[in-house]
Amino acid sequence: MHSPKTYSRQTAPLWPLLAKELREITSGQALWTMLLLLCPLIGYSFLQAVSLYGESSSAALQSPVLANSLSPLDGVLVPTLGSFYVAVTLLFPFVAIRALGQEKETGALRLLVQLPYRPSTLVSAKLAAVLAAWILASIPALSTLIVWRMLGGHLAAAETANLLFGHLVYGLLVGALALFSASIAESAATSAIIALAVTIGSWVLDFTVAGNPGLLSWFAQLSLSQTLRPFEQGLLSGGLVLGAACVIFGLIALSAVWLPPGVPPLSKLRRSLPWLVIVALMLSAAAQVRLTVDVAEDRRNSFPSADQKLLATLRLPLLVTVRLAPEDPRYADLQRNVLTKLERTMPNVSVTLAKARQGFSGGSSDESYGEVEYVYGTRSDISRSTSPREILPLIYGLAGVSPPSPTPGGEYPGYPLVARADAALFWFFGGLPLLIVLCWWWIRRPPSVDNFLA
Amino acid sequence: MPLAESPTSESSVPPLHVTDLTKRYGKERAIDCVTFSAAAGDVVGIIGPNGAGKTTLLETVVGLLPAETGEVLWHGEPLPASQRRSALFYLPDGVRPYRDEATFQVLSFFAGVYRRSRAETADTIMSVGLRPVLDRRVHALSKGYNRRLLLALALLAPHPVLLMDEPFDGFDLRQTREIVGVIRNQAARGRTFILAIHQLVDAERICDRLILLAGGRVRGAGTLDELRAQTSLPAGSLEDIFLALT
Repeated sequence: MHSPKTYSRQTAPLWPLLAKELREITSGQALWTMLLLLCPLIGYSFLQAVSLYGESSSAALQSPVLANSLSPLDGVLVPTLGSFYVAVTLLFPFVAIRALGQEKETGALRLLVQLPYRPSTLVSAKLAAVLAAWILASIPALSTLIVWRMLGGHLAAAETANLLFGHLVYGLLVGALALFSASIAESAATSAIIALAVTIGSWVLDFTVAGNPGLLSWFAQLSLSQTLRPFEQGLLSGGLVLGAACVIFGLIALSAVWLPPGVPPLSKLRRSLPWLVIVALMLSAAAQVRLTVDVAEDRRNSFPSADQKLLATLRLPLLVTVRLAPEDPRYADLQRNVLTKLERTMPNVSVTLAKARQGFSGGSSDESYGEVEYVYGTRSDISRSTSPREILPLIYGLAGVSPPSPTPGGEYPGYPLVARADAALFWFFGGLPLLIVLCWWWIRRPPSVDNFLA
Repeated sequence: MPLAESPTSESSVPPLHVTDLTKRYGKERAIDCVTFSAAAGDVVGIIGPNGAGKTTLLETVVGLLPAETGEVLWHGEPLPASQRRSALFYLPDGVRPYRDEATFQVLSFFAGVYRRSRAETADTIMSVGLRPVLDRRVHALSKGYNRRLLLALALLAPHPVLLMDEPFDGFDLRQTREIVGVIRNQAARGRTFILAIHQLVDAERICDRLILLAGGRVRGAGTLDELRAQTSLPAGSLEDIFLALT
């Protein structure tokens, strides 16, 4: 080919494309409508959360033991941001779909794909605009943190940042899913149906099959809303973040495959297959990453630090065989209180769920039902307890080490706060919506061409 | 900025050669073994009634639609569909791009992408007469001004070959003559234009060469004089020739 006579795509700057995408997503009504809806939704959730937290705090002020259990993460942040999660699930797809759907509907896509950018660059620019939209949409949620601080509430930087990061990861997942649905569907309405089918389908998965054994449990893990759970519990899971990044990457890659018009669907399907394989491989690699950091200020996801240090030195494999039905609440307790903590702390832990011969609800003809066997090296022991206070000494006994002496201090004090956030209603129902409307008006105002022609 | 080469520097091989291009929708052949060439500085008109296959032909040539058979050659070498956008720029019909943005913002986007200078952008705006509506949002533009905007976007693109679908749709006689002047001016600088036109009068006015398309097949091709000779209609208008050939 006579290259001097053609236009090279490498020479195209990225900034005009990014600026265009940002203008497109902020000029649409969807984002601003979502922001306006978020104000009362988040404001009311915050008000309720502060009110309930205040009631619990009243009792806790009389008893220091009760105060220990009062964490702003559980009491205020998670329920307040829960409404943001609902809005991102139900409304954000409409905002993200616009980034691509409108160009498809107006025919502008046929101009866009001729520009000197790769399809992957075009889709990535759109994802960047979706990220900017998410940041804007998070303003009402972020303002609750400021109001909480102004009320005298406590915020632990690490767990708060972790929770916000979790919401960002979830928002990007929903955004990437919406872009992918817009790339495969001809109209914005169809894209919305596809995206909502997945996001709402995730809820259905959560409600109906979570906690069930076998294949159903595996299906439940596919739910998008599972992404947020560890962040809400104060955990930063490397495997989960990598897994989510892989899914986002996969959705963007697939969107780039499906973006160009004129390519037959069968051919697009063929081109999608290698990406599906690559993403599956990446996901299985991400699943091997066991790095998890407990960023909760109350260290709820970890054993006491002395135990953590000692357990980390036990290098032999610990085999745990649980004789409980997966739906047995004792199994859930054991997992939460002991097994997941052990898996995060000890270098080599293997948990097996032995086939229970009788369900927990059907009476027990099997004497061994409810037993948990711990094997470390050549020694083993059995316990029915789900409490670390009994199980840790058992493991130390198997390993032949003395239990560590408890470290004084460092206990979580709890942060009770009796406060009323009624005045914040003026902000969430008046001030913030007004500011949003003003910003909307400012962005929608007739633009000036003076600079353009100067 | 790589621009089209001047007509004087062209070799004997036409920059663009399309051979045996066929596109089917189901069992129906929308275009059937279409072959044509375009030299640098040529204004080629693809003429035909509605449904003749003009749009399909343009979109297949630029690679927006997959062809069943046929090839597009660029200076004698095959130009794969994925690389055609480096040489060809296509302006579709019925597009109103970025409706919520101001006209100058859309122009600024294209000018930025193609690194056009302010002077070049201003020249383009002046040439197509967009100055009065620069601050107007695209959704508020009249059909004629929207068409001018699209034309400006195509002119900002530095590609040597521009393909346009119904470029005069929405223009009155005076406006059409204005835009013909703009296209002629660009063609004189070596740019090739391939225009799908259903108004025969417009086509006769602007095109150097004509490709008469009906039912997806080429019924005649050449200059107006060549077509007259082909149909033995020495004083025939394009309309007469078209009727004779189809």
